[in-house]
Amino acid sequence: MMMEEEREKVVVVGLIEKATNSTAAEVDPRILKAIKSVVRYSDSELRLAAQTLMNLMKRDHSQVRYLALLIIDELFMRSKLFRTLLVENLDQLLTLSVGFRRNLPLPAPPSVASVLRSKAIEFLEKWNVSYGLYYRQLRLGFDHLKNTLCFQFPNLQANAARIQQERREREVRTKEILVKKFDTLMETFSSIKDEVQSTIDEIGECLEIVTASDEPMPVGLLLDDDEMEEFRGSELRQIRLDSLKEGDKVQETSDNKVVFDALRELYKLLVTKHLVSVQEWISVLTRVEVADNRLRDSMLKEFIDIRNRLKSVKKKCEESGCSLPDTRNNEEENIWEEGTIESFENRSSVLNYQSDGSSIASASVKVKNKPFESRNKEADINEKLDCEDSGTDSDPLRSKLLAEAPLMKWGSFLDNWGSNRDFLANQRGLELEGHWGRIDYDAVIPAKKIAELNVQATLYKEDPVEIQPCRAPLSKGGLCQRRDLRVCPFHGPVIPRDDEGKPSKQASLTEEMASELETNLMNHLAKQAVNNVRDRDKEEEKKREHDKQALKRAKLAKVREHNDAVLRDAALASTSRSSAIREDVETAGGERYSARNKKQTLASMLKKKVTSKDRLVQRLLNTRARDATERQLTQGEDAKYREAFPNQW
Amino acid sequence: MWKEIRERESGKLRPNSFSNRIRSNRNSSIQLSNYKEIVSPHRGAVNSLQVDLTEGRYLLSGASDASVAIYDVQRATDYEGGGLLAKHKSLVTIDKQHEHGHKYAISSAIWYPIDTGLFITGSYDHHINIWDTNTTQMVMNFKMPGKVYRTAMSSLATSHMLIASGTEDVQVRLCDIASGAFSHTLSGHRDGVMTVEWSTSSEWVLVTGGCDGAIRFWDIRRAGCFRVLNQSHSQLGRRPPLLQRAATNKVSTSKSLSKGQSSSVKPRAPQRKMAHGNGSKQSAASKIPNLVKSSARQRLHPGLLSSQDRATAHYGAVIGLKVTGDGMYLLSAGSDSRLRLWDIESSCNTLVNFETVRLQTGKAIQLATTQDSALVFVPCMTSVKVFDVWSGTTVLTFRGHYEHVNCCWYSLQDQELYTGGNDRQILVWSPSKWNADELDEWSKKGKASALDEDNWSD
Repeated sequence: MMMEEEREKVVVVGLIEKATNSTAAEVDPRILKAIKSVVRYSDSELRLAAQTLMNLMKRDHSQVRYLALLIIDELFMRSKLFRTLLVENLDQLLTLSVGFRRNLPLPAPPSVASVLRSKAIEFLEKWNVSYGLYYRQLRLGFDHLKNTLCFQFPNLQANAARIQQERREREVRTKEILVKKFDTLMETFSSIKDEVQSTIDEIGECLEIVTASDEPMPVGLLLDDDEMEEFRGSELRQIRLDSLKEGDKVQETSDNKVVFDALRELYKLLVTKHLVSVQEWISVLTRVEVADNRLRDSMLKEFIDIRNRLKSVKKKCEESGCSLPDTRNNEEENIWEEGTIESFENRSSVLNYQSDGSSIASASVKVKNKPFESRNKEADINEKLDCEDSGTDSDPLRSKLLAEAPLMKWGSFLDNWGSNRDFLANQRGLELEGHWGRIDYDAVIPAKKIAELNVQATLYKEDPVEIQPCRAPLSKGGLCQRRDLRVCPFHGPVIPRDDEGKPSKQASLTEEMASELETNLMNHLAKQAVNNVRDRDKEEEKKREHDKQALKRAKLAKVREHNDAVLRDAALASTSRSSAIREDVETAGGERYSARNKKQTLASMLKKKVTSKDRLVQRLLNTRARDATERQLTQGEDAKYREAFPNQW
Repeated sequence: MWKEIRERESGKLRPNSFSNRIRSNRNSSIQLSNYKEIVSPHRGAVNSLQVDLTEGRYLLSGASDASVAIYDVQRATDYEGGGLLAKHKSLVTIDKQHEHGHKYAISSAIWYPIDTGLFITGSYDHHINIWDTNTTQMVMNFKMPGKVYRTAMSSLATSHMLIASGTEDVQVRLCDIASGAFSHTLSGHRDGVMTVEWSTSSEWVLVTGGCDGAIRFWDIRRAGCFRVLNQSHSQLGRRPPLLQRAATNKVSTSKSLSKGQSSSVKPRAPQRKMAHGNGSKQSAASKIPNLVKSSARQRLHPGLLSSQDRATAHYGAVIGLKVTGDGMYLLSAGSDSRLRLWDIESSCNTLVNFETVRLQTGKAIQLATTQDSALVFVPCMTSVKVFDVWSGTTVLTFRGHYEHVNCCWYSLQDQELYTGGNDRQILVWSPSKWNADELDEWSKKGKASALDEDNWSD
């Protein structure tokens, strides 16, 4: 029994020793678990563990202390006996882990020491929060470090409380804002209703006009109904019905175009403005908390009614105002096909526009604050470009505007084209109640920001330039088909040639010039010859002068060289041994380096890491190097002097 | 414990021994109190602590930030942690903002020994102030020639109201509250006087310890000091305790002093008697006769006298003095990190080896003894050590302060120890209040969330 206990004790001590004898940043969890399980069932071992850990804390190595502290924390949070044992010497523990006494700073690896300190402070706070009530020493230590020595504690609890407080405040604020909104809503409720109602009415009228212009159709439909009985087969009937429906759709013609435009506009207004705003108001109403619930409920009901009505109108629009979904389709198609359409069919038209002179791309910035309609118009443009390329119909003003209008790609930003209002960021009617954290319901995206976000980035597309083939005649017959931008590697500059490969017009022009030049040539040559002769004379003179100078310089150099040689000999005599020593040092350093790379040990942590700066410092700041630089500097001065007065030296 | 009570009930146990037993029991279990906490308002080192002598209820503390505070140690001002922690906040605080407040550090704050209506503070700003506790107004002040290190009033005094003050100056001055003037100026020290202590057996005997390492005894009824302790005069061990001492303190004190000073109670011819007593009784034990500054003796033995006059009790300054409760022994602490126990009567060093490690040297420290003078509490750097007075062995070591401890006070009534240190804290050390059962009961009541338990998750 005794033997066993002895052995166990050794086990605890051994485990702790082993756990702390590593360079890792954490205690090996398996060893930690083993320590805990051993210590859990025996008080004597716990005592021993406490003692061992305190002894380890006295080690002159921060890494050991750090690991020991981690183990201490584990046991401290678990065992009462361990707490009572440790608290007795808390000041010592703190001295060893925080290092707040000036005469007892933390030991060597400074990086680990700082981690140790921060960890110790963190642990102390944790301990104080959970057990401070029961141990005066903990309170004292915490108080001393915090209030007397002014250490910065992570302050976890206070932080959490503060965050809670902030959240509460924000909630109160949102509530206030909601109430305020509710108040404004109460004021503007009737006007909103009127507006929506008027839009709905207008749409209804438009629809009436459209359907009225197709008056014969219903008749036909009736007829069809009569006829329908004739078709027995259900499939056939189905086909018939479908075709009828197709035929039922009011085709947009130049007659009812205006009406359709208005209808589209109204529809857009309905979808983008009214529906959204109603949705917003509903969400506000559901979230607001007011004393008088009846009013709120009645308003909510009305809003829901309005929404339903809006939806039904929208549906009607889409169903009966047959072209509207078409436009939508068209737009959707545009999303996908824009590129292709542009590239193939519209290429010519685009080019046309460009050739019209007003560079549309440059105008795009200016046009951004064009009114809302331009968007619709643009859709029309696309349509028109698709179907009728000529585009020369109707009023001249329109065509003029069209010519000015920028060509924009279709995108969601067009929904808010030209609108200059702020947007609520989190009011989409979606209840994302804190799913990704707090939601600020009043967050507003300013109009400026929206404009910024909507700035269109377009890829610069190079105009496809057809590179002309070289078309120089080849010896084997035919023309060179190489396409080079400027110069063909075989046939020189690419020039326009005729079908046989002969240079056309421009080449002949140069020839003419050449012939013209020939007449001038003689005069020119004569002049140049004279000039040449003169130049040569001058140059020769210069050269002679130069030679003289060079000779002089060479002489100086020779003298200098001699002096240098003498000096070097003298210097070598004194430095030959030291240079050999330097080599030795270098090799030794290299060996040490490789050895350290092999394995990290506690002792190696203590060794100062040799950085490149250290090496440089070692090389540069030792006395020999310093002397050498000094000598070199003085030598430089000497050299200057000697160069100036070589004979005097 | 119950057995003892039963015995006491039946009369087997004497009341004195019963109480002594309980006291010593409690003393041996003193530890840092978790349930009693004094909230120190001081922003500087606490230099002086004293519980009043009449009620044993009000703790007076003086600190380096020139503030004085009074706490009620019996009744807490508020509780924390569901009643687990009793916090004692200061009832009265006087600091620099007070119109008559001290300018510099307060080195000593003591109660008027008769009641709690007055207290006295001595400060480094050269002043000794006397305060009315109830109105917290200054009622009197004395301007001293230098920094005041320590003030003391005799707890026995019935015929005088003198404040003894040790200052930077070489002279010890006695300030008379009744007249508001210096009544005595005692000169003899060659350097500043760090500590001042009245005898606990005679109201006229004053003990002072100076920076020159000398401990001098003064009889305030006559000029000059009558005794200088010399560290080289020693006797081995304490004398066999007098039988009467245990029985009645009063008799023993008078007896113990009878050889030297009890004669001084009778104003007639004390000098001759003293000389005679010394000669006959103590010639074997010690060769120093008491040093009385009578001109006749000075003329007789000038060389001897001067050598005695230069005797030192410590190498370096004497920083703490404490007369035991019976007035027979004197404990002194010096900046040589020694603690010495002196037999007052023979004025010999008893050569008790106290196992001190180190004492702080710069400041005066305040020692405390238990009622029966069995234990002495000594501030040793950051800890307070408890020594057995007679053997010098360390009984307990209290570690709790994070800086040097300056002073301690033992409350006779509660067997509690109060310590103040440079870390601005005043700590309460008390006998463990609860045994395990009580604590369990308390936690069962649901006040504690049963936090302080083993918590093995794996």
